[in-house]
Amino acid sequence: MGKKETRVRMSLQTLRVLEAFLENPTEQLAGAEVHQRCGIASGTLYPILLRLESAGWFVSQWESIDPSSAGRPRRRLYRLTSTGLRHASEVFASFNRGVLA
Amino acid sequence: MSQRNERSKHAALNSATHWLIHQAARRAPETLSSRLEEEWLADVESRSTALSGLRFAVGCCWASLVIVSEYPRSRVPAASPVAAASPVAAASAVAPASGYFSLADRNFRYFSLRSATLFLIAGLHAALFYGLITTLSHTPRIAAPPHLQNQPVAPVPRTKDLPPVPGTDLKDWTIHVPKPVIDVPKKMDIDVDVPGELSDKPNEVIPEPRLPPITPSHVVQRLAGGPGAGFPETADFYPSHSIRLAEEGISTVQVCVDRRGRLTSEPTTLKGSGIERLDEAALKLARAGSGHYRATSEDGQPVNSCYAFGVRFQLRK
Repeated sequence: MGKKETRVRMSLQTLRVLEAFLENPTEQLAGAEVHQRCGIASGTLYPILLRLESAGWFVSQWESIDPSSAGRPRRRLYRLTSTGLRHASEVFASFNRGVLA
Repeated sequence: MSQRNERSKHAALNSATHWLIHQAARRAPETLSSRLEEEWLADVESRSTALSGLRFAVGCCWASLVIVSEYPRSRVPAASPVAAASPVAAASAVAPASGYFSLADRNFRYFSLRSATLFLIAGLHAALFYGLITTLSHTPRIAAPPHLQNQPVAPVPRTKDLPPVPGTDLKDWTIHVPKPVIDVPKKMDIDVDVPGELSDKPNEVIPEPRLPPITPSHVVQRLAGGPGAGFPETADFYPSHSIRLAEEGISTVQVCVDRRGRLTSEPTTLKGSGIERLDEAALKLARAGSGHYRATSEDGQPVNSCYAFGVRFQLRK
């Protein structure tokens, strides 16, 4: 088991996804909610979520509900990990230093 | 009636959406297929309209293509049936899958698959546009004439014999020329007066006087020269003082000109106008016209010659 690669190519869409999670780092978001917040199309959104998950920035789990009682299927929820939070903060900090500061 | 149509349309769109999501999930890596299908089917429920759901499903098709291109098949972990049964267990089973490590590696490609596709399409359009522009702006070049070569000309076969010209089919003909009849008087009395004394010596040979050889006479076609093309205007050399004093006159100038119309010597005044200023101006004009004289020609060949021409200084009335 090699060391996990945590680098992620930063595209504008990836930054927008991270920004949506950084608003409340402990919050779990489904893909549909991320789409509502960022407006990123599903064709771009889900590959990004999978990349960040594979890099260890996100973890995902199924929603713990009973679909029959809730009347809807369970959703996949994504959450920032501590590693992801640190890296995302560094990314935005570097952007602030380089562009905005 | 319209509500039923709306409902049937809505149902058709929903079924198309679910079918697309199912197909997209099937294209995804095997370990992710069931997860993605369930995830996408759950997320599409949050869409407000059926059309939006359909758009979401189309996006899922593209997402599955991207995921497949980034997800190596060799590292796909075996799907755990326990993970599918238990939501919590599934989360812990999928998250640390070693196959994702390569997904992260591939994130460092310079362009994503979508960007590369867009660049490819843009490049193809640019190439097509460039091709059209260069084709439309092509100007036909005039083909260089081939090198001249002597080529034997094939004899043209005579297809039809020409009819004989009437009157030319004489085979044996004789021209009868009448003999001229000259009446010569049989006896002529000629009186010759010889000056001087005759020599008494018989059979004395008197030397004949030597005459110069007679050469065939040749008339040389001589065409006198004069001011030619490009010769300066007289008005440009009219002295301003003479203009104010209204002096007019004709000055005849003699020039010697070579075959190329250039002066070979200083022009001189052959006949003055009576006004020295005008004569000087005529000489200046003659000098300025060197190179613009028309040479005298003999039998069409220009020769060196000297000739005179008049320069008229006359004010306009």
